Amino acid sequence: MNASDGEPSQSTLLQSGLEVRSRLVLEEGLSRIDARTRSRLNQARQAAVAAAARPSALTWLYRLLTRNALMPAGAAAAAALIAVLMLSSGQRPAQPVAENPAATLDVLDLVTDDDAMKLMEDNDSSFYEWAAAQADAPAGGATT
Amino acid sequence: MSAFASVAPPYNMPATSRGDTLLNDTAEARSRALNQFLASVELKAYKIAQAGLRHQDDALDAVQDAMLQLARAYADRPPEEWKPLFYRILENRVRDMQRRRTVRGRVMAWLPFRRDEDDEDADPIAQAPSQELPPVARLELDEAMTALDGALEQLPDRQRQAFLLRNLEGLDVAQTAQAMGCSEGSVKTHYFRALQALRLKLGDFEV
Repeated sequence: MNASDGEPSQSTLLQSGLEVRSRLVLEEGLSRIDARTRSRLNQARQAAVAAAARPSALTWLYRLLTRNALMPAGAAAAAALIAVLMLSSGQRPAQPVAENPAATLDVLDLVTDDDAMKLMEDNDSSFYEWAAAQADAPAGGATT
Repeated sequence: MSAFASVAPPYNMPATSRGDTLLNDTAEARSRALNQFLASVELKAYKIAQAGLRHQDDALDAVQDAMLQLARAYADRPPEEWKPLFYRILENRVRDMQRRRTVRGRVMAWLPFRRDEDDEDADPIAQAPSQELPPVARLELDEAMTALDGALEQLPDRQRQAFLLRNLEGLDVAQTAQAMGCSEGSVKTHYFRALQALRLKLGDFEV
């Protein structure tokens, strides 16, 4: 939701004044980015799009193999490639899977994250009230 | 001979040409989508990079690198995955540049006759904002921007990233977590801490 649009969404209404006002200021800052910077960003974008549009080695291989003269050889090569891929994927050893990877990640974050540790040490209940309010809010809305 | 052999192709076109056309159409559609996506994020990405690096040219370099890397490595991925991927790349790039700058600063401190790149005179025309506002409104916004920029500069990196990705770019908690490479719980903690710190520094922050 763009705060500068006409009608505010429910998620915007749930946001604090600080969040809405700071977004307005940040968006105003974007509109005041100078012409030189915009031009350089535009050039960077064009270069990136050109890099993506350049056919990859795989595309060249596909085109080469699908030429009329090379069609039978291409079909055989493709079949051989698929067979090799299937065999190699079948032989891959099973990866050990944590019982609950998300929970493991959360615990790891808690231990390694200064903010989280400070929050625990401070016994700051306002965060939990805020988090509970956010859980009740619609998806995508940041509440305070 | 099987029945398939007698079926004529629907178009008077060799099979390889149809395949090429299909590839070209797909590539063109992907290029258009990528161009639109990058155009939609470039200014915000620049702002976020600049907040982390506090240097205009470094921020531009970081955004350019992130764009190229996304295009080269992830253009084939579904477009809805691009945004968190792009910001993940950008964040890594910003962090690399911060580290490199720290090392360079330590080395340069030992060198005689060093010259600070920031001493270069900026071109006032090139630096001019692209839009004009009435003087009073402009002054108020200038003050608000200075205050907000100053407050954001003082935030720890992770809090500032969480705040800008959520509040400026509008990513949800899950996307922000993906972009920052941490759990959703961590994103909520960083964001809440950022709001607390900004509220302390800015108060009501009337604009």
